[in-house]
Amino acid sequence: MKLFKRKNKDDLYLSDKQPLNFAGKINLSLIYIVLISWSIVIIWPLYQMVVSAFNGRQGQYLRLNDVFEFSLEHFHYLFSETLYLTWVKNTIIIAVTTAVLTLIIVSFTGYAYSRYRFKGRKASLMAIMLIQTIPSFAGITAYFTIHSIVSDLVPMFSRQMMLILIYTGGSIASNTFILKGYIDSISPELDDAAKIDGCSNLQIYRLIIMPIARPMLAIIALWSFIGPFMDYLLPRVLLTSPQSYTLAAGLFTLINDFRTINQPAFAAGGLLTAIPIVILFISLRKQLVSGLAQGSVKG
Amino acid sequence: MKVTLKNIGKKYEGREEFTIRNIDLEIQDKDFCVILGPSGCGKTTLLRMIAGLNSVTEGDILFNDRRINTVSPKDRDIAMVFQSYALYPHMTVYDNMAFSLAMRKERKKVIDDRVKEAAESLQMTEYLYSKPSDISGGQRQRVALGRAMVRKPRVFLMDEPLSNLDAKLREHMRVELVRLHKRLATTTIYVTHDQTEAMTMASLIVLMNDGIIQQAGKPEELYNKPENIFVAKFIGSPTMNIIEGSMENGRFKSTDGIISIGPSDIDMKSLSLYEGKNVSVGIRPERFESGDHHLDKFDCTIDVVEMLGKEKIIYARLDNDYELVISTPGHYEYIEGERHSFGFDIDALHFFDSDTGIRIN
Repeated sequence: MKLFKRKNKDDLYLSDKQPLNFAGKINLSLIYIVLISWSIVIIWPLYQMVVSAFNGRQGQYLRLNDVFEFSLEHFHYLFSETLYLTWVKNTIIIAVTTAVLTLIIVSFTGYAYSRYRFKGRKASLMAIMLIQTIPSFAGITAYFTIHSIVSDLVPMFSRQMMLILIYTGGSIASNTFILKGYIDSISPELDDAAKIDGCSNLQIYRLIIMPIARPMLAIIALWSFIGPFMDYLLPRVLLTSPQSYTLAAGLFTLINDFRTINQPAFAAGGLLTAIPIVILFISLRKQLVSGLAQGSVKG
Repeated sequence: MKVTLKNIGKKYEGREEFTIRNIDLEIQDKDFCVILGPSGCGKTTLLRMIAGLNSVTEGDILFNDRRINTVSPKDRDIAMVFQSYALYPHMTVYDNMAFSLAMRKERKKVIDDRVKEAAESLQMTEYLYSKPSDISGGQRQRVALGRAMVRKPRVFLMDEPLSNLDAKLREHMRVELVRLHKRLATTTIYVTHDQTEAMTMASLIVLMNDGIIQQAGKPEELYNKPENIFVAKFIGSPTMNIIEGSMENGRFKSTDGIISIGPSDIDMKSLSLYEGKNVSVGIRPERFESGDHHLDKFDCTIDVVEMLGKEKIIYARLDNDYELVISTPGHYEYIEGERHSFGFDIDALHFFDSDTGIRIN
């Protein structure tokens, strides 16, 4: 109702923008049409996924526009007939370890690049930037070699650990850059003040810089947590047994392998996959919002 | 605590030249020492070296008689107030003030007492639990001071702490700082580029330029007996007038011959060696006099009159277009464009060697 009320003659025009003329209005409606159709493209498959996941009338293959009948049988199938819970466990272990490792390493590198002057600082920063452009999949033969060498020495070293190393290593480069930029914007006088107050270098980071950089650290944590959920290629290639699969690789067996195919269960699994990410997102929400906003200004 | 600097020099990594060099200075216990200088003269570098934030390239820094060159900042028993205040944005005012004591594992009770005491003396008690972002610039400045106070350090270091405040507040804080200094009875080293701050607060001014000390002394010494032309021009507002010329037959003659001054007998003693040489004479704006009884008068055209209330600043032009700044009491009438003649207070003349810039009399 508020929308129409605004048209009252008595109301003051409060916007700082010039009132729209005819061409402007057409332009605006075109933009809305594009945006709305874009959202439909994104939302429609998601909607279909949700509906199919709960639709008891779906068989082994998904059929659209089928009759809807509420049922949890696909979820049941997922938990009883597949290794879904193992995959969830694997993924969460990998994701959490990746996020924690990334945070720790990036904290050190970002802080060091921002606050210390040392030989090769610029050169190594450039190298990091260039290395970023190479997709991590390009090193697949190297990964196999590294893994076979290390697992010869340390039999404990599993394929999953290899995966964690790859994810962590891949995210260090870009995140170091991001965090360095963020810490650069924190006044070095704070470091000096802390030094006089009696902090060691590590304490300066832990007590002063880290709390201030928390929004950016939250984003880095979220990104590196989401990474293992999204990636299909590396786990598919590196992990050999379904026991060790991550969610993406595991769920994929439900749609591409004729022995195990069950598309509605895939939809149900996909739906459940979102839960850990949503939980993390909600718990980091406060930090994330301020981090995103600040990041947009400070680059 | 007495702070002694012995032949201090600093060269930054990757620089060709020394930033500061040959600094010799003795700051007595309970002195309010102001390090003054234009930007880029190395004054902040010097302060940071005393704080231990920058390393000492050469020379020694002594606190009392202890050499502290390699002592880390936290063990020097100092506290520093930064230009940007450097308050920790994620902590409350209370935590900011308590931080340094907490880092020293002081007992909670002691910390609480000290913080409350500092907050009270700075009238910040009601803001103790606000975040720095929620209080005004002047209050942040007080927090920064309070943070330094709770430590009860033996040396206070301040790096242009008033430069972010508005003019009115700055004037007020100037007095507050002096009061604080007297009450705490510590040694204070204060860096600024503002000569008014230096003149009003210091018991010892150290004027630096180009990385060396130009003159160190009491404010009145720097004002009344500047050792060289740089000091003469830097101290005092409006700036001292410098007229170039030479000594001829015991009289000072300006280069174009418009101004001719017969120096006083005392000045003459030291000036006699400069007969026929290039000499510059400096005179403070307020030391011009009008009246018929003066001997060495000159004519000028009044160009601009600045009314400041208690005084008028006159920008007068000589016939050769040279500009003199003259300050007169505010109730005197001067009209722009008018011709006027002024004389000198010959006891207040400063003579400098034009070639070296060093004071003669």
